[in-house]
Amino acid sequence: MPSLEELQKDICDAICVGDDTRVSELIAGDGMDPASRLRIYRNHAVITLTDALKATYPVVCRLVSDRFFAYAAHEFIREHLPEQPNLAEYGAEFPGFLAQFPPCHDLGYIADIARLEWAINQALHADNVAAIARGDLSGISSADAPRLVLTMHPGLRLVESRWPVERIWRANQADGDPDLSIDLDSGGVRLQVHRRGDRVMLKSLSPCEFAFLQALARGDSLADAADIALRLDLLFDLAAALGTILEDGIVTGFRLQPPSED
Amino acid sequence: MTRHKSSTRDGLAAAGIGLRSAHVAEIMETRPAIGFLEVHAENYMTGSPAVAALEDLRHDYPISIHGVGLSLGSAGALDREHLLRLRTLVDRIEPDLVSEHLSWSGLPSIYLNDLLPLPYTDESLEVVSDHVDEAQAALGRRILIENPSVYLRFRHSTIAESEFLVELVRRTGCGILCDINNLYVNADNFGFDPWAYLAALPVRAIGEIHLAGHHRADVDGRSILIDDHGSAVSKPVWDLYAHALDRFGPKPTLIEWDSSLPALPVLLAEAHYADRIGAMQAAERRTRAVA
Repeated sequence: MPSLEELQKDICDAICVGDDTRVSELIAGDGMDPASRLRIYRNHAVITLTDALKATYPVVCRLVSDRFFAYAAHEFIREHLPEQPNLAEYGAEFPGFLAQFPPCHDLGYIADIARLEWAINQALHADNVAAIARGDLSGISSADAPRLVLTMHPGLRLVESRWPVERIWRANQADGDPDLSIDLDSGGVRLQVHRRGDRVMLKSLSPCEFAFLQALARGDSLADAADIALRLDLLFDLAAALGTILEDGIVTGFRLQPPSED
Repeated sequence: MTRHKSSTRDGLAAAGIGLRSAHVAEIMETRPAIGFLEVHAENYMTGSPAVAALEDLRHDYPISIHGVGLSLGSAGALDREHLLRLRTLVDRIEPDLVSEHLSWSGLPSIYLNDLLPLPYTDESLEVVSDHVDEAQAALGRRILIENPSVYLRFRHSTIAESEFLVELVRRTGCGILCDINNLYVNADNFGFDPWAYLAALPVRAIGEIHLAGHHRADVDGRSILIDDHGSAVSKPVWDLYAHALDRFGPKPTLIEWDSSLPALPVLLAEAHYADRIGAMQAAERRTRAVA
């Protein structure tokens, strides 16, 4: 008789990889082949995990059809089982999987749609930290302002794609136009994905705005982030950009970087 | 705002329903009369707006938190991080009931998203008792343990499931969430007497009853019942429920419906039907007491 630990390992093997050699003889027949009984559990795991992926990647599913999605999800689940029970955190590797999945080879934009949907999922489930307002920065002198380091909202995600993923995503929402035709070669997009109250917002950014936010999100000072933006666009307006991100509610705190020694 | 909070000292008087995301907006807006709302703990462990909605609804309805991921039957240590997340949720929502399952869900770092069956042995009893003790200590309260639907049994099981639950209650002081549909499905699939099973359970330990739909499926040429929570409660399950109430007295009762979700009024009608059966059983018990 196996220990509980051995038995559970063997059942996991049977459910995950279909290897029921050790476990079948431990299962009472009760009028049915043990392999059939194990298959009930295997099917249940695949179906419910496919549903979980579908809930996180509804637009991918809509674009490729339910049947193809179920096939892709099945292949994905074989390689990536959830590590813990909170399924909102399951499926982070799905966009990368789709990018490498041979049957998706001719659908280059699918992996990027999945990246966008994962960003939306993360924005939705992030802790809802209160944003700071413009007035909270009023104590910062203009001499100190370049040393400001902003804390960005934990739900902020920045997504860049060479495909028009925002238009594709919007066309596939409940209120989208199903007959809209989108030219896949109409250019890429840089998106700010953020949570506002109960809703996730998508906002298209210019290359310099995007680079500015990327710099802030990795902890660069205001001066360093502005430098990066100015290198992309000489007309980048720091005051306006700062006003916009405060208005969007994506800044949740700030500190001053110590003055540099040189 | 209308208050329907119907929690009494004896429990939750009217039947409740499982709160599913598709119904949240309608419930928030119409605040229908429901005994209580039950949520799956694992859907409320992030900062999503669903948690804020639940915090709002808890002012109007008693809440039951039903865990599906703690894996009390896993050999080895409980997932402490998950238990901590459950505690955070319980502290935040202050539910009337907290429940989990007599099952396991995977290995460390593998979660199979299912309620897998245990061999009913002395070793399993020790593992589950230790984990229930640990969970109750962490949460600072009694939890209810649900009898699962199972599709396979182990040759080396030595204890009947009902006896296993009785002993678990004796060792840990936990309560029992008696799922009548699971019991019916198991009894039908394995050919045992569900009435005898109910007769073995200690009345005082029963803290909640679950009712749900099932369907008949063909698995490799054999017809079996699958507990899928995807339809109305069936007639034989209602009958078994009436019998359970006759034995247990009134208990908080929940309608579970998870797949092929119906419109909210259909779910509410199921809950009200459970209330009618409860009222009829109570009247019968009173008559018997007088006679």
